[in-house]
Amino acid sequence: MEDRKHFRDSYDAVVIGGALAGLASALTLANKGKKVLVLEQHNLPGGVATSFVRGGVEIEATLHEMMSIGPKECPLKIRNFFDEMGVDIEWLRVPDAYRFVDDVSGVNVLVHPGTHGNFETPAKEIASACDDADGSVYRRVLELLQLCSRVYDSVNILSVTHMSKPAMLLKHPDFVKTAGYSAKDVIDTFHLPKKAVDILSAYWIYVGDTLENLPFTIWAVLMADYLGYGSYVPKKFSHEMALKMAERAIAMGAQMEFGVRVDKILVKDGHVAGVRLANGEEVRTRYVVCSAYPDKAYTQMIEPASAVPEGAIKFVNAKTVGLTCFSVVLLLDGSPEELGIRDYSTFYAPKGMDLKKIFDECGTDGPYNYITSICTNLANPGCTPEGTCIYSITALPKPEGWMGVTEENYEELKRKNAEYFIDMESKRLGVNLRDHILEIVIETPVTISHYTGAYRGSVYGYMHTMDDHIVARLQMSEKENYIPGLAFAGAHQISGDGMGPAVTNGRKGAKIILDQMAEEERSGRKA
Amino acid sequence: MKVKGFLKDVGGASAVTKRRQAAYDRASAKPAHKDPMGAVAKALHPGLIPLTVESVRPASKTAKTIRFTSEAHLPYFRAGQFLTLVIERDGYRVTRPYSISSAPYETRGEHPCVEITVRRPKEGGFIANYLYDEVRAGDTFLGEVGLGEFHYEALRDARHVVAAAGGSGITPFVSMAKEIKNGREDFDLTILYGSVSEDDIVLREELEAAACDRVHVVHVLSGDNPGWTGEKGFLNRDIIKKYSAEDTTYFVCGPQVMYDFVQKELEALSVPKRRVRFEVFGQVRDITAFAGYPQEKKDDTYRLRVRIGVSETEIPARASEPIAVALERAGLKIHTACRSGSCGFCRIKVLSGKYFVCPQNDGRRGADRDFHYVHACSTYPLGDMTVKVNI
Ligand SMILES: Cc1cc2nc3c(=O)[nH]c(=O)nc-3n(C[C@H](O)[C@H](O)[C@H](O)COP(=O)(O)OP(=O)(O)OC[C@H]3O[C@@H](n4cnc5c(N)ncnc54)[C@H](O)[C@@H]3O)c2cc1C
Ligand SMILES: Cc1cc2nc3c(=O)[nH]c(=O)nc-3n(C[C@H](O)[C@H](O)[C@H](O)COP(=O)(O)OP(=O)(O)OC[C@H]3O[C@@H](n4cnc5c(N)ncnc54)[C@H](O)[C@@H]3O)c2cc1C
Ligand code: FES
Repeated sequence: MEDRKHFRDSYDAVVIGGALAGLASALTLANKGKKVLVLEQHNLPGGVATSFVRGGVEIEATLHEMMSIGPKECPLKIRNFFDEMGVDIEWLRVPDAYRFVDDVSGVNVLVHPGTHGNFETPAKEIASACDDADGSVYRRVLELLQLCSRVYDSVNILSVTHMSKPAMLLKHPDFVKTAGYSAKDVIDTFHLPKKAVDILSAYWIYVGDTLENLPFTIWAVLMADYLGYGSYVPKKFSHEMALKMAERAIAMGAQMEFGVRVDKILVKDGHVAGVRLANGEEVRTRYVVCSAYPDKAYTQMIEPASAVPEGAIKFVNAKTVGLTCFSVVLLLDGSPEELGIRDYSTFYAPKGMDLKKIFDECGTDGPYNYITSICTNLANPGCTPEGTCIYSITALPKPEGWMGVTEENYEELKRKNAEYFIDMESKRLGVNLRDHILEIVIETPVTISHYTGAYRGSVYGYMHTMDDHIVARLQMSEKENYIPGLAFAGAHQISGDGMGPAVTNGRKGAKIILDQMAEEERSGRKA
Repeated sequence: MKVKGFLKDVGGASAVTKRRQAAYDRASAKPAHKDPMGAVAKALHPGLIPLTVESVRPASKTAKTIRFTSEAHLPYFRAGQFLTLVIERDGYRVTRPYSISSAPYETRGEHPCVEITVRRPKEGGFIANYLYDEVRAGDTFLGEVGLGEFHYEALRDARHVVAAAGGSGITPFVSMAKEIKNGREDFDLTILYGSVSEDDIVLREELEAAACDRVHVVHVLSGDNPGWTGEKGFLNRDIIKKYSAEDTTYFVCGPQVMYDFVQKELEALSVPKRRVRFEVFGQVRDITAFAGYPQEKKDDTYRLRVRIGVSETEIPARASEPIAVALERAGLKIHTACRSGSCGFCRIKVLSGKYFVCPQNDGRRGADRDFHYVHACSTYPLGDMTVKVNI
């Protein structure tokens, strides 16, 4: 019975990890007729894109908002990809962009996204929170957002088309001209009041470094996408998205196995030759798309270790591991109305928007003073039983802050931060959340590591910084496929963190493999 | 306003490429993998570890405490959690969850150990009898230590906890009591422990030893016990009320009849839902007792086709038993832990066929329902079926 056959003799490609990025790879490969095997260590697809059940109630684990979906009549690239692949998700539009609250400057403003790439609504709302008697703040905010929008459009075109430099400059001047600069550099040229900059900075933590060190390109994409088109969530939580991707990949012929961890990527004669599973079984393939971090793959997984070129180690050492998360997820025993919760999403800076200070604090084990709160039910009414709602409070610390975690101090670290968040939010909302907690789940870097194996519990891959600029990443990407037959898919790839980018990264990983396969076929070396 | 100044600069793109190249050139070529979060995650959730029986001692006339040590690292669990024991017997490989009756602090120090206390049931007892009658010091098992959500949570629960226990359901509270006495848990615990007679009280000595200013134990006897001067009757609203503080969280663990009874009593006291926590039920004794179960099928046995990787095999499956049991009876692998539909470890995909999910143990996610992913420990076949299980 033990020698039952689990796998085919070989596969065109093995995808390690069945989360969003890995599944996007699998869909892309299967769609091209490749025989794909997806191996996921957990017993569910989705990685961090998941939900859990407590006290009989399903609760979203992570997703705040999905970008690049857009309304049906004006679909953006992730919605388009899902449509192309036949992944049919029930999307719900998130009602607002965010409320931004800064207790030091006194700013408290609700910002709504525009529709179809129109930024007048958010620009108006942002300006209204500043002194703007002559409407000049409004105009400048609008201009800045429109610049973001042009950069965003260019990025979307350039990521799928090749273009000469002069042509690029001609057709995408704003993209080219801003590419070398930080978000701060570009925002400064608009001479906006600090309050406006603060409100515009709210999403900052979703991509990492402070505005000084954050590539404008990345910030522009984020702003244009979220503020121009609004964001979405799947009706049955992010698990719906992951599961539907997995089911579609299976329907397209992929074999998907849960509860299987890949320990080694086998390399022979300078090319990927297979993978070894935790139970010792080996699977033959010449192509692997790996969701595990390159840090982990290059130092722990490649066999023999000597097959890893020095360049690959330098590559990972040159990067900064991105943010991890600390999130308190609550199921409350009141409806949002009963509890006085009015906003879907709130960014809160109780000690002011000093990004440097906030970011330094992110490098400790807490407590943290920049948080995002989400009331899931306000975008997804009826997602929990009547008279209850999901409320989550999230900070995004740097992994450095948690390097001192041990089995013994872990509970206390959890409690300390969770308590701080709950009390802080209780004060802001004017309702003692502690009197309403039906269920509480605290997610930490350790939790992320447990469920996904992500290096240092990071959810952000590698940080977008001026030293690791997205434009440079794109320009240099070709020579960074260090081991023939091996590509990566995950937040640790070019487009970086977020569920939308995870999908984009997964498609890119598949494309690298498809190109190599085509090349191999051309040169007649097919195994 | 015109976007101006440096925006005329088109060299930016190459500047960032140079910067990135420079960062690469500066970087060390030595592997620098360091992942303490990963290490803690592994220490707390090691999966199956070897457990060796160190001793077996009586815990009442019908219960025994089994102490395990391990050559592996014992995780620092939360008082109230259970461990799942893998039992291999007569060619079967099954699992059973048992609340850990020792305290978390005992996994630390000179002599790390965990204990479970197994009661010999009046009926059934496929595994319980075996553990009770046959397990000896030196026997070895595999087990998964520290699972489940039945533990105190300071941010959610009241500072005063009333535990309602029946039978072997006392075990998680013994762990909590010991941990409180040891100063590692911070709440006040009053244990209301219902038994028929003094002879039925499990772990009485441990309970007495753990009693302190923060831990009170109240035995409530329901049988005819001449000479008993303590509390009498069932764990009814009067007794519960008597030992409650103004703000109290209730933890309930015991047999099904006790759950049902205590739940009604708490409702009568208008205790808010968030103040009541029940331990999971385990596999239900009689699935046919649930509304919606098609009675005419209860004695049927069906053909269950099981896909494992690219292979398939066929086994019999009784309509009255969960699919997980059919797989275990056939010697096939299925990862189970809570056996109550809640941990999701036993998630499998139904490819075809009809099934019944125990309503009391239904922990499925919404999208999973739509695509017929079920928890094998709480799903019963209602006809020939095909399922896909993990390899
Ligand atoms: C609290 C929180 C809130 C978030 N909110 C949002 C949000 O609102 N919007 C948004 O866009 N993004 C959000 N994110 C971030 C986003 O979810 C992630 O960046 C993205 O989902 C990462 O996807 P991934 O596929 O790269 O990686 P992961 O989800 O980490 O998946 C990696 C997968 O690979 C598997 N794997 C790894 N190694 C192996 C191995 N050796 N063998 C087998 N399998 C393996 C893992 O089990 C896992 O399933 C949030 C994240 C968190 C934690
Ligand atoms: C969270 C939790 C904590 C618990 N803590 C404790 C505790 O501290 N102390 C304690 O004593 N108990 C505890 N229990 C109960 C314990 O897990 C067992 O349910 C109990 O010991 C009875 O098990 P049993 O196999 O003897 O019961 P039985 O009633 O005999 O169970 C028999 C079941 O096993 C299956 N079966 C029968 N024959 C076979 C076969 N040949 N192969 C495979 N399967 C077969 C059938 O489906 C049958 O329904 C706990 C349960 C839970 C859920
Ligand atoms: S064993 Fe926990 S859900 Fe089945």
